[in-house]
Amino acid sequence: MICAGIDAGSRTIKVVLIDTDSLEIVGKGLTDQGVEQDKLASGLFKKVLKSSGATEKDVAATVATGYGRNAVGIADTTITEITCHAVGVHRLMPTARTVIDIGGQDSKLVRLDGSGKVRDFAMNDRCAAGTGRFLEVTAVRLGVELDTLGKLAAGSRRPAAISSMCVVFAETEITGLLACGTGREDIVAGVQAAIASRIVAMAGRNIEPPIVFTGGVAMVSGMAAALQTALGQTVTVAPQPQMTGALGAAILAADRNR
Amino acid sequence: MTDAPERITLEEWDVQYEKLRRAGMRQPQYGGPLSRHVEDGDHRLRKLRYDNSAAALRLWNFLLTEEDRLREARSAGKKIVGTMKDLGTVPVMAYCFDNVAAFYPDGAWWIPCVMELSDGLLEVADSLGIDESFCPVRAMLGAFVTGAHFPIPDMLICSVGATCDDLSAIAQRLNGLGHPIFWWEMPHRRCPEQDEPAVILPGGIAAPKCQVEFVKSELERVKAALEELAGERLDEEKLSAGISQANRVRQYLAELRYLAFTAEPCPIPALEMLIAEMLAIHFCSDRRETIAVLGELLEEVRGRVNAGLGVLDADAARIFWVNPVADLQVMNLLEDCGGRVCGTEYLFTHALDMIPQDVPPLEALARCALADPMAGSSIDRAERICADVRRFGAEAVLISRIPGASHCALEGQVISEIVAETLDVPVLEIEVPPVTDSMSPTLRTRIEALVETVRARRRATQGIRSDR
Repeated sequence: MICAGIDAGSRTIKVVLIDTDSLEIVGKGLTDQGVEQDKLASGLFKKVLKSSGATEKDVAATVATGYGRNAVGIADTTITEITCHAVGVHRLMPTARTVIDIGGQDSKLVRLDGSGKVRDFAMNDRCAAGTGRFLEVTAVRLGVELDTLGKLAAGSRRPAAISSMCVVFAETEITGLLACGTGREDIVAGVQAAIASRIVAMAGRNIEPPIVFTGGVAMVSGMAAALQTALGQTVTVAPQPQMTGALGAAILAADRNR
Repeated sequence: MTDAPERITLEEWDVQYEKLRRAGMRQPQYGGPLSRHVEDGDHRLRKLRYDNSAAALRLWNFLLTEEDRLREARSAGKKIVGTMKDLGTVPVMAYCFDNVAAFYPDGAWWIPCVMELSDGLLEVADSLGIDESFCPVRAMLGAFVTGAHFPIPDMLICSVGATCDDLSAIAQRLNGLGHPIFWWEMPHRRCPEQDEPAVILPGGIAAPKCQVEFVKSELERVKAALEELAGERLDEEKLSAGISQANRVRQYLAELRYLAFTAEPCPIPALEMLIAEMLAIHFCSDRRETIAVLGELLEEVRGRVNAGLGVLDADAARIFWVNPVADLQVMNLLEDCGGRVCGTEYLFTHALDMIPQDVPPLEALARCALADPMAGSSIDRAERICADVRRFGAEAVLISRIPGASHCALEGQVISEIVAETLDVPVLEIEVPPVTDSMSPTLRTRIEALVETVRARRRATQGIRSDR
């Protein structure tokens, strides 16, 4: 039998299928999020099942997580992304003590105990300044593709100082920086540093290594380095960082099925 | 006990009301179905879930008819006193006079929530330069300007100094608008120096005797002002009698809190407990009725505890709640997410502790006022929270910030770190504006995650199968 995890995030939906006994991944997929969340999740779920050579009858249990978890009708139950990311990261990197997850709409810092259980967590407030949304706004404002931001930032010699705690105000700052002739690479590097500093503020004083970086923003090159600089500690990007929430959900589904 | 306890919607309350009425429920003058308040503009009531007892109905009706009560008091020739910021000391004095009704204008901070922003009070405050960078208590300013929510008091008394920066600024603006305020000063409470004469305040905190003396002298001034307004002297005997009545309220609340926070299963919802606790600071404009309302509620809760009945699942995560919420619905949300409130610190613990009755009455009130958590350090607050978390057996702490409120911004992190270090329990900080509808999913995620964390810890402690 297999178990499924569906992570209905604010930007993308991710599905992971695992073997219930071995917990090995047997299938995975991703699609953009949209208005019809349930339909999109269900469609992706069927597609991943088909590509894995499985049918719905083979699925023993399904757990949904993520921002849109309650809209996923095919799930047997829902579990928050905080618990799911912790479980997913622990599976991939068992020594991890801190998980930083930066998604499209929010960011989280999860502290784990030695057995991988959540000890404590913090999430960003209503402001999007510490999230992937900030990068999206920046990309649009600079007229570049999101996946080129990392490359741009790598060329920065003098990252711009972005002082606003709010994305809307920060966008105004970017406009001002452009008007002053600041290079795009320095603006992107400044935005990445601003996101990292928001995470550091959220983390408080105690952050225990090893630190694992997960979520969609972990794939943006330069972000892990920005976090590392801000935290003053090594930050490791999780393997398949977008999938850790869905993987954790699938593992929890398997656990509940036992 | 009126019925099998459960949380019900406003529509279900209409049915329940008819059922209770047919069964002979005795109602006070301000009784009636809860849904009638929606017609007055209290739209938020449609989205809340309530305890289904007659005692809870009386509590809600008592709260939601305060404006009528104040207008009746004015018609009856009583002097109306608005007691601002001190949260629980001046009302004790004011209610010693037969011809005075006191109320808490700061309580207007809930109007934008209850009326779902349709009242326009925050916009009025905006237009007066008190914008959203201030605590939602700025709604009070709007209420004074529109005059639509309470009669303009004959006298306004407000504590300043080491109280609340937002309220002080708002009250000063109010003063500038032509509402004279009688100010009295609250010093920042400090630890006594070595060999300095000290006094143990209610709640167990030590303070220098000279600070108690100072607050006492300030309360002497307040007393004199009240005497002048009432045209009556307030002697020690009358003041002692007033303290005794205030202590009855506090005694009821102490038992209610103990039962609500420790009994299994939870005998009363968090929302009704929040409303009940708030009565300690202002008596909802009628001290005698406050005692009756709390007495009936306590009787209901005692009955449920004795019968082993509750309103929530027995395995609900035990959460200690810090700071009152601007949106009442969030108390429902905690329970919807699988939590229950096991202990609270709503910034007025000094109004819940018993007023000493073995010292002269004004000295007793001074000690109480100086025990105000807002007047001391964040460390004092955190230590009290830690002690109460242990006392009530809470498994996690939820710090609910009020947007714009300076105390929350300054103290949240300090409390969070001290609690986490001292007790090793998960601590969650959330921010709750007056209407949370648009951010309900993110609030839900945080609270659900806290509940999941508590349950995973429980399983680990109990040594049964882990979360994974």
